[in-house]
Amino acid sequence: MYAKLIFRNAKRSAKDYLVYIVTMTICVTLFYAFLSISSSYYNPDIGSEYDFTLLSDGMKAVICMITLLLLFLIRFVNHYMLRQKQKEFAIQSIMGMEQKTIGRIFFAETLIMGMISILIGIFFGVFCSQFITAMLLTAYEKSYEISWTLFPDTVLWTVSFFVFSFLVVGIFNTRTIQKTKIITMLSAEKENEPEPGNSRWISVAAILFELITVWAFITGIQKVWFYYDARFAFPVRLMYWGNILFPLLTLLWSVFCLIKKGKKNMLITGLLICSVLNAFATASVAALSNKYYLPLGTGMLNQYLLFLLIDLLFFIGALIYLAGSFIVTWKEKSPEHRYHGEALFFYGQITSKLNTTSKTMTLICITLVLAIFLFIAAPILTGWASGYLGVRSMYDVQVYSRYNHVYEEKNLPQDNYEIITDFFAAHEIDPVYDCTFSLYLPKKADFHNRIKYDFPVVAISLSDYNAIRKMLGYEQISLEENEFTTQWKAIAAEEERNSFIAEHTSVVTDGGTLNISGQPYSVEAMGETLYNVYTDVLYVFPDKICEELLPVIRNRYITTTKNISYENARELERLFAAEYPEQAESGALYSVRFSTLQTNSTIANNFILQTGMIYGAVVLMVICLTVLSLQQLLDAGQYKYRFSVLRKLGVDEQHINKLILKQLRIWFGLPIIVAIMAAAVVIGYFIQTISAEVSAYIGFTTLMLQIGVIVGILAILLLCYFISTWVIFRCSVNS
Amino acid sequence: MNTILKLEHIQKYYGNGGNITKAIQDISFSVEAGEFLGIMGASGSGKTTLLNCISTIDTVSAGHIFLEETDVTEIKPKSLARFRRENLGFVFQDFNLLDTLTISENIALALAINHTPAGSVEPRILEIAEKLNISDILNKYPYQVSGGQKQRCACARAIINNPRLLLADEPTGALDSHSSQMLLSTIQSINEQLRATILMVTHDAFTASYASRILFLRDGEIFMELRKGNDSRNAFFDKILNVLTIIGGGQSHVC
Repeated sequence: MYAKLIFRNAKRSAKDYLVYIVTMTICVTLFYAFLSISSSYYNPDIGSEYDFTLLSDGMKAVICMITLLLLFLIRFVNHYMLRQKQKEFAIQSIMGMEQKTIGRIFFAETLIMGMISILIGIFFGVFCSQFITAMLLTAYEKSYEISWTLFPDTVLWTVSFFVFSFLVVGIFNTRTIQKTKIITMLSAEKENEPEPGNSRWISVAAILFELITVWAFITGIQKVWFYYDARFAFPVRLMYWGNILFPLLTLLWSVFCLIKKGKKNMLITGLLICSVLNAFATASVAALSNKYYLPLGTGMLNQYLLFLLIDLLFFIGALIYLAGSFIVTWKEKSPEHRYHGEALFFYGQITSKLNTTSKTMTLICITLVLAIFLFIAAPILTGWASGYLGVRSMYDVQVYSRYNHVYEEKNLPQDNYEIITDFFAAHEIDPVYDCTFSLYLPKKADFHNRIKYDFPVVAISLSDYNAIRKMLGYEQISLEENEFTTQWKAIAAEEERNSFIAEHTSVVTDGGTLNISGQPYSVEAMGETLYNVYTDVLYVFPDKICEELLPVIRNRYITTTKNISYENARELERLFAAEYPEQAESGALYSVRFSTLQTNSTIANNFILQTGMIYGAVVLMVICLTVLSLQQLLDAGQYKYRFSVLRKLGVDEQHINKLILKQLRIWFGLPIIVAIMAAAVVIGYFIQTISAEVSAYIGFTTLMLQIGVIVGILAILLLCYFISTWVIFRCSVNS
Repeated sequence: MNTILKLEHIQKYYGNGGNITKAIQDISFSVEAGEFLGIMGASGSGKTTLLNCISTIDTVSAGHIFLEETDVTEIKPKSLARFRRENLGFVFQDFNLLDTLTISENIALALAINHTPAGSVEPRILEIAEKLNISDILNKYPYQVSGGQKQRCACARAIINNPRLLLADEPTGALDSHSSQMLLSTIQSINEQLRATILMVTHDAFTASYASRILFLRDGEIFMELRKGNDSRNAFFDKILNVLTIIGGGQSHVC
């Protein structure tokens, strides 16, 4: 009998369960699709030079961590279902059914729906995992073919995870049903929204904000005490004082409100303005320390980053908390707007909802900021890493040495690294280009100069330099007898380069004085190991001069006809390390890099980073949008009544539809606009701090293009949610 | 006296094919300007259907309804909402107030929907609140005031646009006896002082006794008509009870 009831219930209330099924399906699809990569049966053709195991273990951990977030969503959707069905439960218990049984029936129903979602989800997951495979193979620069495979272990993981979460949530639900009184269930639909104005969370948030402000104030005073100098540029002085004055202003405002016994809204409005001022002051710390080379440590920058985050979080919370009061104030001040058509009704709708859900809205907003940040930061970070990979692994094999710990000239690296030649011969690897060369100190006297900020720039002979350029397919350069030129790292800023060249129009060397050539610099990427540590520039001297200089670094770059396999690379790396230990007794430091190994680990790490971030962002985004849309649909019963009153008052359908659209626009628009504002600040700050890397390894145009694509995808996702909420909302209000 | 509402052979059927329910068989009557008409009947007698037809919420199957010169049954669906808000006022059993707005805003909404200039909204609210004795609760929310006050607010909202006809559907249905009495006095004063034409549907004899004329419906037809004339309200009340006794258990039912 009960089984029949369960199936009939499930069938009849399919419409109610639609939201549940859709949400669960999205969760299962995402979970399956992303986890499928870590399956032991997953074996994409990424070529013999790459190893895949590194990737799958990392993936599994990342996916499982992020998926914990989904539990929250499952709980929320269950809560929604529970509220929808309260009246039905009430009737069942009045008829004499035990509440325990009702709980079990509901659990069985949700389980059936959950199972259906798992089935559909896995089906869609198989489709989606194709996208991820495509993403993976693109990352490894391989061509891509569609293959339809179901991975048994991933299916098992997915089913176990979701069944487990259904069980956990189901137990909670059964307990909730058992504890609810029949009368509460009966009147659930008529329940008024809680009275506005008694939310305590904002007071807690304000107190926490005050405490952090005290900390920021003390830090500000300390920094001025220890580091301030009247000779600093005006913006820097402003920054130092701003970081004392604005926190002080925040504290004084609170004291003023306490003494005057002002209203809570007045206090929060003041704090909101202060949080913006504080945010400007704290954000300027990193920006100015970059620009003016201020001697502020990473610890302090991180501390100010924390202050900035707190300011932003409080700003979001306070803004949403006050949004209702702002609307009320605006409404009070302008009778023309207030008494225009259905405006009063609209304001009533918005403020009543805002006042009762400001906490949820704030959480949604913060989560959205995180999601947007993850979406945008993923391509920046991976672009940075792969751009850097391009710069790092320009040669199939590069051997390099460092003299940082060599204190005697006889111990300097002089070797030709023949071990590689032997290994190549034994394994039939043919080099295309092979160049072993030295880097020289212009002045021998600089050999003992080991101060980090004043490390000497080294020089290369013109013939070696041209050999490497030939290897990389660049044009050859020529120098007159007493001339030199410079070669620059990609990361060096233009101003740095120009000022260096202006200061070094001639160089005094042990072989004579050289003047700068008509072509003073080259900026083509030539790898990281071509430069001395802590320097971004390399001199290029005529060969004759170099013969008289002290060689301090010995490098060897090789390109091969075909890619070195992953196993060979590992083997050669081991042999090399045995003969040339990283820290030799002489003090010289040797190292070998294979593009195979570097590419493999970078791509794998990149991929984990990228998929992890995108998965996290999608999950957070889906959570936010589902919660936003459910919040509206949850009250559809109440709205139905309100809109029916309007209809009776003589408002036509066209106006009612307009009102619904307007209400949903505000409901979705407010958190999204606040989130976009906050995310813009965070991302702006983030890009600003790594602007050198962005321009060196990604390029601003590419970055903007990527951000544009992501914003487009986000907009489509948002539009889908908006339209479906709108349709369901209209149906439930009009029915 | 001029006729404000005129119903001519109204019929309303539900269902189709061989399974037709006649909610209203054939009803004709007219209401004079300034009249307070009560419509009584047991449940299922067709009184709410009749009210819905007059208020254009429902359509008639046959017959015509004239509000002054306008034939309500001929109005195009698109113009119905406009017709309602310009000509009719409603008072419902369950108040139909919006809990998101204050009492004053609930009243203002009716004015705003009717495109009243913003400047004249507040004076008009104050004026009507004074008359209906709800001035002190104007800034409260519906959940903060009593049922009687809510219904008086609903009355204020219904008459603020000076409708040609005020329709009340069981206005005392959700009120206790004291509040009912106060509300009915209010409605009576609206009728007498503001010269509003009122059509009230009720099944309660006490409520009906405030009307000046009562139509009794049974099985979709007018069963009897009572006029108060010069009777006192108590005498009128007794008459109503007598009619109800006949409707509830006519002699044919006893035999």
